[in-house]
Amino acid sequence: MDLSFTPEHEAFRAEVRGWIADNLETTWAAAVHDPNNDQQALVEIRRAWQRKLNAGGYLGMGWPEEWGGRGATGVEAAILAEELARADAPAIPNFLGLGLCAPALIHHGSEEQRRRFIPSMLNADEIWCQGFSEPGAGSDLASLRTRAELDGDSFVLNGQKCWTTFGPFADWIFVLARTDPEDRHGGISFILADLDTPGIEMRPIKQITGEHEFGEVFFDNARVPRENLVGDVGEGWKIAMTVLGYERAASAMTWTAELGNDLARLITTCSELGLDDTRTRDRLAGLVVRWQAFQSNALRGVADMADGKAPGAESSIQKLFWSEFNQDLQAAALDLLGAGAHLKRICRHAPPDIDWSRNYLYARAGTIYSGSSEIQRNIISKRILGLPQ
Amino acid sequence: MKFDLSEEQSLLRDATADLMTGDCTLENNRQVAEASGEGFSRAHWKQLAELGYLGLLAGESVGGQGLGAVELAVVCHEMGKVCFPGPYLDVLIAARALEDSGSADDIVRAIVAGDEIVVAAHRDRVWPNDEATLAFAGDHLSGAAYFVPFGSSADRLLVVAGDNTVLADGPFDTEPMETAEEMTRLSEVRFDNPARRLGDRALAHALTDLTAVGVAAHALGLCESAMQRTVSYSRERETFGRPIGANQALQHRMADMLVEAESARSIVYHAAWSVAAGADDAGLVAASARAFAVSAARAIAEESIQMHGGNGFTCEYDVHCFLKRALTLEHHPISQGDALGRALDKFSQSFAA
Repeated sequence: MDLSFTPEHEAFRAEVRGWIADNLETTWAAAVHDPNNDQQALVEIRRAWQRKLNAGGYLGMGWPEEWGGRGATGVEAAILAEELARADAPAIPNFLGLGLCAPALIHHGSEEQRRRFIPSMLNADEIWCQGFSEPGAGSDLASLRTRAELDGDSFVLNGQKCWTTFGPFADWIFVLARTDPEDRHGGISFILADLDTPGIEMRPIKQITGEHEFGEVFFDNARVPRENLVGDVGEGWKIAMTVLGYERAASAMTWTAELGNDLARLITTCSELGLDDTRTRDRLAGLVVRWQAFQSNALRGVADMADGKAPGAESSIQKLFWSEFNQDLQAAALDLLGAGAHLKRICRHAPPDIDWSRNYLYARAGTIYSGSSEIQRNIISKRILGLPQ
Repeated sequence: MKFDLSEEQSLLRDATADLMTGDCTLENNRQVAEASGEGFSRAHWKQLAELGYLGLLAGESVGGQGLGAVELAVVCHEMGKVCFPGPYLDVLIAARALEDSGSADDIVRAIVAGDEIVVAAHRDRVWPNDEATLAFAGDHLSGAAYFVPFGSSADRLLVVAGDNTVLADGPFDTEPMETAEEMTRLSEVRFDNPARRLGDRALAHALTDLTAVGVAAHALGLCESAMQRTVSYSRERETFGRPIGANQALQHRMADMLVEAESARSIVYHAAWSVAAGADDAGLVAASARAFAVSAARAIAEESIQMHGGNGFTCEYDVHCFLKRALTLEHHPISQGDALGRALDKFSQSFAA
């Protein structure tokens, strides 16, 4: 057993820290926290940051160098994720493109598709969104009904996608569409579509936080060139399931660092407000202990990855743990800090550094997206515990 | 990097598991606790000595194996699975303090050989508003210690009195402090005994993290056993013509058990490794592991009783043993509240400064 990072890993961490210190502009943090900035302005900050990361060679960590990646190990990707979160760096805008679509292209796409799409994806010239969920297909994704019918050199798309994260700011969408109504999993294909295509309409959806980070997409006889099909017809489900498994260990490290930052902020704020009674301490201590368990889980995941173990159903454990921990943390902040924590950021008296009530509301989403908590518990019951179905 | 145990550590785990599933099954341990006046088996204790378990942490110069926190976790983890009775951890911790003092190597040798039982006694009061009475003066210890594990079996006791870590020589005036857990015998010890000073209180307090690892690992064993028994039972027990484990309401609760148990495994071994390696965050991880694993053990055991239905409420079924041991661990050697407070303070020092 050895949970220490190697000297090479530590050297990489030092390099990353130095690079972040040189490149993360301090005005960005202020801008991200500026309540007067609108969402589009924040997207532009995120775009600028992604371009810096791209120039520095810190995107596509695990990809082959041929496609603009770094050929780095999973441990290095996890270290980068942790350091970026620790530095409170803005999230990149093309996280869905780089996290899901590019791996699909690298592993299943054609040479031409890679050359056409990956460089602009890396440089945030084209921002991508993910067209998986539908009004009638969320947790049961394979029941999706958006159709793609081949007509000459085009696929004709009809149907509707929703909960399309980052859709209102995106230029392109990768769509799971049904090419065979008879074959549940084998009748799904993975297709790339320009959101400017006639017949495609993106409508922002207003969320309970007041933001419109996601949207719904309507396809009405939208014609997409046949060469935008990734892999073969009917391979979409397989492609989607494999790309969903990437970068999970790294994302656990991101969450550990981000939640650790939030928890440290909450503890500092309580301390500044003179809240040191037993009730406060008890609540905070409970959060510390659970955060530590989550951090230990993440570290175990990284160590297993370094040890050459393939990730398994433990990603369900991570997902359940962080999404529910995040809700507990945000709820504790509202409960402990009181009425002031509910103030919107534009108000006088509002907390200067963090929007607790927005974060509390936003945390509701974590137990719903990427496989709801209930789906994760089903996976654990079936695949790990082997309970009778 | 590697989370899995090393080859030597795996061998230790397998050997300990063999011992526990051989002579020391939960069923046997329950009988031992019931039949013996002391609540544990002297024969098993002697066996632990012969196999080197009592010298696990002790240096080779005093007959020990010179192993560390990870190996301690491995052994306590296996012991927890079968609610092993006896003052194992408390004796190892006492032996370590004695060895660290540099002035009691003969006694450490006797402990390692299984000839003497020396227990670390940690609690000097029962209720929050009680006054501690322990006092050390002129090679003599007076006052009382409470909830001393297997205190009536101890030849000597290690206590902190004022600013001193003190070793008191028996025999002791003891009185049972009975709780619902019959497999851990607790005593009140009223001291009027010869004693010697081993060092200041820091000598004993330096072992806080190591003790936390042992308690947490024992609790991890409880988590896993209680969960496994529940999962097996849910596969076998049928109602309305099918196993109860086919019901989603129960499946999701068992999934939650697994999340807690696996997280306990992560944090316990992370803590063990951190303490062994002297990592910067060892104090935070160890205190958190102790608090997390003990809470998880209690929660899983409570759920286990519920899912065993009426059977879970009977003494005949074993699952209550896990709950009762978890309740004992919540106050052993420090309270759950103190462990939580320690975790918060350590986190604040590291991150919220």
